[in-house]
Amino acid sequence: MNEANPGSATLAPEQITRVLFEGFAPAAVALFYAIAWAAIAAFAWGCYVQVRKYRRGQPDPASLDHLGRRLLRMAATVLSHRTVARRDATAGGAHRLIFYGFALLFLGTSIITLQVDVSEPLLGFKFWYGDFYLVFSLVLDLAGVALIAGLIVMMVRRGWIRPPRLDYARPDRQPGDPDYDRSGYRREDWAFLWTLITIGVTGYLLEAARLVWLQDRPGVWSTRLWSPVGAVVAEAMRGGGLSGAAAGSLRDALWWFHGILALAFVALVPRTKVKHIFTAMGSLAVRDPLAAQRLPKLAPQAAQVGYARITDLTWKHLLNLDACTKCGRCHEACPARAAGAPLSPRDLILSLREHSNRSLERNLIAGDADLGIHGGQTGQVSQETLWSCRTCMACVEICPVAVEHVPVIVQMRRKLVEAGEMDPLLQKTLQTIHKSGNSFGESRRKRGAWTKALPFPVKDARKEPVEVLWFVGDYASFDPRNQKVSQAFARLLQGAGVDFGILYDAESNAGNDVRRVGEEGLYEHLAESNIAALASARFGRIVTTDPHSLNTIRNEYPQFGGAWQIVHYTTLLLELVRQGRIRIEPRLASRATYHDPCHLGRFNKEYDAPRELLRATGCELIEMPRSRDNSFCCGAGGGRIWMPDPVGKEKPAQIRIREAARIEALELFVVACPKDLTMFEDAVKTTGNEGRIAVRELLELLEPCVTCDLARPEDAIA
Amino acid sequence: MTKLLVPVKRVAAVEEDFRIRDDGRDVDPDDLNYDLNEWDGFSLEQAVLIKEAASAEVQVVVATVGPQECDEVLRACLARGADRALRVWDDAMVGSDPIAIARVLAAVARREKPDLVLAGAQSSDHGHATTGIALAALLDWPHVAVVTALKYGAGDARATATRELEAGMLQEVETTCPAVLTIQLGINKPRYASLRAIKQAAARPIEVLGLAELELPGAQVGEAGSASRVRRMAIPEKGRARMIEGSAQQKAARLAQIIREYKAA
Repeated sequence: MNEANPGSATLAPEQITRVLFEGFAPAAVALFYAIAWAAIAAFAWGCYVQVRKYRRGQPDPASLDHLGRRLLRMAATVLSHRTVARRDATAGGAHRLIFYGFALLFLGTSIITLQVDVSEPLLGFKFWYGDFYLVFSLVLDLAGVALIAGLIVMMVRRGWIRPPRLDYARPDRQPGDPDYDRSGYRREDWAFLWTLITIGVTGYLLEAARLVWLQDRPGVWSTRLWSPVGAVVAEAMRGGGLSGAAAGSLRDALWWFHGILALAFVALVPRTKVKHIFTAMGSLAVRDPLAAQRLPKLAPQAAQVGYARITDLTWKHLLNLDACTKCGRCHEACPARAAGAPLSPRDLILSLREHSNRSLERNLIAGDADLGIHGGQTGQVSQETLWSCRTCMACVEICPVAVEHVPVIVQMRRKLVEAGEMDPLLQKTLQTIHKSGNSFGESRRKRGAWTKALPFPVKDARKEPVEVLWFVGDYASFDPRNQKVSQAFARLLQGAGVDFGILYDAESNAGNDVRRVGEEGLYEHLAESNIAALASARFGRIVTTDPHSLNTIRNEYPQFGGAWQIVHYTTLLLELVRQGRIRIEPRLASRATYHDPCHLGRFNKEYDAPRELLRATGCELIEMPRSRDNSFCCGAGGGRIWMPDPVGKEKPAQIRIREAARIEALELFVVACPKDLTMFEDAVKTTGNEGRIAVRELLELLEPCVTCDLARPEDAIA
Repeated sequence: MTKLLVPVKRVAAVEEDFRIRDDGRDVDPDDLNYDLNEWDGFSLEQAVLIKEAASAEVQVVVATVGPQECDEVLRACLARGADRALRVWDDAMVGSDPIAIARVLAAVARREKPDLVLAGAQSSDHGHATTGIALAALLDWPHVAVVTALKYGAGDARATATRELEAGMLQEVETTCPAVLTIQLGINKPRYASLRAIKQAAARPIEVLGLAELELPGAQVGEAGSASRVRRMAIPEKGRARMIEGSAQQKAARLAQIIREYKAA
């Protein structure tokens, strides 16, 4: 071919395409098809085994409702990589390159198959030539660049940068335990990266070898720039003295190598971490947006409660186990793990995954004895691990593939509670709550005693209708420090002319933390008792200063027939400001930081109202490194406030105060949750920050800044 | 089949602010909260442990003397592993002292023919520590009081019990069975009855017995059958403790002044 006069214009479009099996004997082509079919069969069998594994779990029909909407939402998440990029832009960017590169290359290969094996033999229709082929060629060449670039970033990250979240050391096992060693996972990670990058690189070498081999054929060399990377490599090969004939032999060798490697990869998808392509998408599709906020309700006549065996998990939770990609975001976010507790949400999920792979991928599942998930054996989870959880939702919230760690943990705790396997203090507290309706063991009659210090009576919502019913909660009712805050809020409401009342003796512990402990029967008892009390009162909506009560009343009481509008006090106060019923004067000038309570922030997404109110007091708000959705739990959640923390280890609240103390000249650590006040006042003392940093409930800062005696609409009318 | 009888009591605890009833003989019932006697939680747990350790069938029977309100504590016992629950009541039983209660329980024991009776060492409200011992006397069975450890397997002819004596001493006693043991706190770790288990126990039957079933004459129970009766209940007069307020110097000065006053007196 005359190189000086190329130009596809002189060629028929049919000539511009790529050879596939050229030069192969029919037996070789047959062998290739045999290998391809074997790979597809292995893939199909593997998928069957996986699906059978999930189907061995419990039914969960609610996870498949509104399937169309679910799939759309999943597609949006996957295509945007929104969840993969959170708190790790590098990994997100690299994964995006790999994802799109891989997806396009897979799509390209499928298009070839579509013509060669479907449309041409069956319909005699060909389309893979001419301009379409050229664009195809260019797109796939660029996809290969993306894939390899992404893989290189991931390799550099794993091999050199080594972020702590990719350290597989487990806090829940000791060196020497049979499942302490995680080198198998590491080998799989590297095998995955090397296999993919080898497929990518040999693809370019193969392309280049073909270009050199067929350089004299019309339509090949002249169109080489439509596959720019292949063209550059081909130039290098020619420059290196590679002859056309030698290139042909090289092409044969590379063709088989590349082809068999790619098919082996396909065959191994269901049995290796590659399966996350499907399991992660599946998990995202069946995602419950309120997984941690609204825990699963027990079937009324369930023969047993909670998760005792691997087959007790719902199919969705079994799928969750396989969706995990060990990205370590939950491991990094977990406050229990940070405090040295034997819990990493990642390792809990991986343990259960190992169990389910071992016991549920077999053709026949073993007897009950082999299915237990409680204990210290491989694939089991110990009591200490389960009781370490604060149910703060940091893991669930950041998981890019919608794994539901918290519901799984609470389901396992339900089993422990049923068997009485818990800390004696916790047991005592649960009995106290059952007996007296509050965790303080105080008489019901004293629930409203904090109101006696007020210069005005607080309405009894059982006896008269109110505009706003204040659900006070245990800590705000009985804890002396928090009673002061409750009194401040009462004065604010009174001053603003809000018609409010409380339920006095009829209110019980809301049950949020009892449920997260796993004492579902007691939770139902508390919820039903509160729902009955609320139902007999007449009010517009509910307000509370306690984010824990807020969460369960808003998200969980509807499961038991109690649906009311409930707002946190920060939301209500901001409304009053906007309606002009109160004014906040900037009378303070302290440097303050704000701690998002888990149940207000992550659970109920109220991040802005407290900040807006805090700024209005004149305080200078300086954010901690971890704030809003990444806020770091005080350690009190999930019933941990009723259990002693291990002696000698740093507590989550102390870690948090040290984080705040790194803010220069910080004066105020502001919270908006009764339990936070208790936990952090303690932590300020134990970290030696007393006298330097003061913990304040936002209400205490607001009270001196609020001017209530504004002309009210009623006054104006009067 | 081995049968273990566990007599239990619904005890009262007073609210922080409480009043004496108008007749002066008890606390106003409005100011009382009820629960299973703490000691009985341990005796029940001990019976359930014996049952769980046995290879042959063991039946744990809890029994109480009291009105219908006592069903709640019986249900808590069923939730913690008891097999059957008996409640004995007749209005004639009002005002029974521990001996009269023991007489009722003895009638229950004659009817049930247990291999061992495990009672609480005392009750947390009245604290007589008498019922179990009186029961043994009425049955003419051996008894071991204040048991802190027990070696007994279902069906054994003898039980070996460790008793708690004063001054931290322990005594090991061997007894033939049937016998009455009164159990001390701390002998075991009573299990947690989940609310779910308690709710499920609500559906289980409670056998209710009266004087007729036990063949007891009315004159042997209640005030008529009691050797003692409550005459009066009273709140002791407040002591003379008082807080001294003020600065350290003020407090010290005030203290010195009080000491001088007492010396003078």
